[in-house]
Amino acid sequence: MGTFRFNIWFKEFGWRHIVALIFVIFAIYPILYVLTNSFADFANLTNSKLIPDSLTLKHYKLLSGNPLVPYSDWLYNTYKISIIAAFFNVFLGTLAAYAFSRLQFKGRRASLLTLVIVQMFPSFLAFVAIYLLFFQISDVIPIMGLGTHFGLILVYLGGSIGFNSWLIKGFMDTISPSLDEAAKVDGASEFQIFSKIIAPLTRPILIVIFVITFIGIYSDYILAAIFLKDKNLWTVAVGINTVFVDDFNADWGVIAASSVIAATPIAMLFIFFQKQITGGLTAGSVKG
Amino acid sequence: MKKSTVLRYLFLAVFNSFIVYAVPLTITFESWFLLSLILIIGLLVNIVYFSDRFLPMKWILPGMIFLISFVVFPAVYNTFVSFTNWSTGHILTKSQAVNILESRTFTPEDQQGIEFDLYVFQDESFEFYYLADIDEQNILFGKAVTNENILDSNFAQHEPSFKQNGEIFPPDGFNLLTGKDQIANSTTLQELSLVIDKNTRAQLFKISVFGASTGLLSSTSQLYTFDESTDSITNNSTNTTCLAEIDNFVCNGKEIDPGWRVFVGFDNYQKLFSNQRIRGPLSLVTKWTFQFAFVTVLLAFSVGLFLSLVLNKENLKFQRIYRAIFILPYAIPAFVSVLVWKGLLNPDYGVINTWLSPIYEILEIEPIQWLKTKESARSAVLLVNTWLGFPYMFLITTGALQSIPKNLIEAAKVDGASSLQTFWRITFPLLMVSISPLLIGSFAFNFNNFTLIFLLSGGGPPVIGSEVAVGWTDILISFSYKLAISGGRGNLFGLASTVSIIIFALVLLISAVSFRYTKRLERIYGNI
Repeated sequence: MGTFRFNIWFKEFGWRHIVALIFVIFAIYPILYVLTNSFADFANLTNSKLIPDSLTLKHYKLLSGNPLVPYSDWLYNTYKISIIAAFFNVFLGTLAAYAFSRLQFKGRRASLLTLVIVQMFPSFLAFVAIYLLFFQISDVIPIMGLGTHFGLILVYLGGSIGFNSWLIKGFMDTISPSLDEAAKVDGASEFQIFSKIIAPLTRPILIVIFVITFIGIYSDYILAAIFLKDKNLWTVAVGINTVFVDDFNADWGVIAASSVIAATPIAMLFIFFQKQITGGLTAGSVKG
Repeated sequence: MKKSTVLRYLFLAVFNSFIVYAVPLTITFESWFLLSLILIIGLLVNIVYFSDRFLPMKWILPGMIFLISFVVFPAVYNTFVSFTNWSTGHILTKSQAVNILESRTFTPEDQQGIEFDLYVFQDESFEFYYLADIDEQNILFGKAVTNENILDSNFAQHEPSFKQNGEIFPPDGFNLLTGKDQIANSTTLQELSLVIDKNTRAQLFKISVFGASTGLLSSTSQLYTFDESTDSITNNSTNTTCLAEIDNFVCNGKEIDPGWRVFVGFDNYQKLFSNQRIRGPLSLVTKWTFQFAFVTVLLAFSVGLFLSLVLNKENLKFQRIYRAIFILPYAIPAFVSVLVWKGLLNPDYGVINTWLSPIYEILEIEPIQWLKTKESARSAVLLVNTWLGFPYMFLITTGALQSIPKNLIEAAKVDGASSLQTFWRITFPLLMVSISPLLIGSFAFNFNNFTLIFLLSGGGPPVIGSEVAVGWTDILISFSYKLAISGGRGNLFGLASTVSIIIFALVLLISAVSFRYTKRLERIYGNI
């Protein structure tokens, strides 16, 4: 009788658990492996295994104060660039979205459509032109030329501002126009309506778009790799993928530790905002 | 005046002074495209913010400046570059190339190897001075300078009073260095020379501990002279005239480096499509780009859909835990995951070959050299990208499955359809309606998935025998990157931007298809 009930349970549920478990292992194995290895007390990839015999913090310690691998500089650079670029991206996008949502003008539909079409092409497709353009900017205005964070931030600003203002505009449209009309009657200026009414009401979506943009810039490799030549100015993406190429075996512990540090905050942000990020908002995919 | 107006004019003043500063510089460096970009932006800003009209543009323009400068403009510029020969050796404009050639020097033969006595002095601030005793009429004294300062240096003076009856008398405040002192300072002294006239320098040649050290005269003459009327340069050393051809001066059939950049019309396009040794790699890369993007979406979608079907069961325990874990690969930045996978796939030490070693032993085959052979590299790229991509597919198919009305499925069951029939005839078609735009979006994303390809396999392993750097897993964008930046065969900017133009065209095509077969355009119109 027991086997009969087990058979029914297995047919209904059991096999599902088995399939799910197989893919749980597939999904989580690399993550767990690198997580445990970053604390593991063995030297290299050859004798690495999932469950280490003893734990240590030495790989993390190796990452600080090593002039050949200025990891903390890379982290600082990455956060600095991503936060500044994402902030201005959202800020300028919001200004544009306000005009598209609230002001009537000729060519509004046409310019919105242009925005969407332009942003169908990722900005890095024209990386040759971006490189050559900034090569020339280096002569004229060295502080924003090749090899500078300033220049890189400018490029990131262009990268998604059109798409972002389009998204924000869609959200602003859902705010009832009667609110700003009432304010207008009370004598509020355009800027006051924006800063006192529309912007605060749009804040939830602005935070989400900030996070998406931040993650996108944090994860960028190609533009940062083209732009930044000086080791101390690299971002994490460029740094760990440039330094750890020759000797995976010997560097494995440090590779694991640097991966954990680079990935953990982003993974946490992602999981926290997962519903909004995947909830049709992106209409495609922000990342691989 | 209102405070906001004052602020506006203040901003415009700062902005315009910046433009006034930048414009002459762009002209000096002959950066015509940059100049036009600065002028366009400057014009836009001034028109919009000087007048009291154009209120909407006042809101839109700040963001659009960046969109125009760094997205639209590079696309235009990229097209321009694709019609030029811009590459290593042809980076400069013609006048810049001529400047460089005219600054080259050589030493005429009759001036080589004249030796004479040379004395080294030091003044109170320890700067070095040379006295070159060439002959009775030329006892030349002056400050010894490094190469960079030669052009600014004064010529040496004839000072017969310093040498009387064969003895050297240094002037006041100067100290004659002995041979030993000279040896102690030899690294510095090697770099220094005494400038005698425009073309002639004296350098320390041999240090002598017992007598006077030896100096050597070397003369530097301008190697090339440019003649604008005949558009040629003359090599003063061999006295040959080199005519300017398309993008180089050519002396006796030999091109002089550097050349300059010129328009070459459709040459790059022709090269890509008709030069056998470049067309081969291009068609190989294009084919693989489509294969990679298609198979990757197919695999990730299949796994994602399969999992969401498996978990789409009421009262299934641990559902939430499974879901949370399936999302994890998607939550980690791709540049980290790829690095980790590279470690796991390492053929010699990686855990994947450790796992597979029993199978290798049973089948008696060599371990797979992951990423080092064509097949293994392509499988590895697809495997890793499936891992990266299936969570997204799992999420969207789960959402779509849950939005399919239950009564449709119930009705099919009542009509006697098997569960397989129900899936293929009802669930799947309904699913595809909402999912297919996202699948096309994912296809377009992977079409240009540079991070994965470049960081995992570097596009490798290399295709042997092709004229340009290309590998078996290269997709168009990484191929273009190698041509322009990292192929190890110079910077072929012109050719690389031509490949980029092909990518632009293909992305346009993909988007047009997606617009045609989905409701995406309507959704966009809905928002406008």
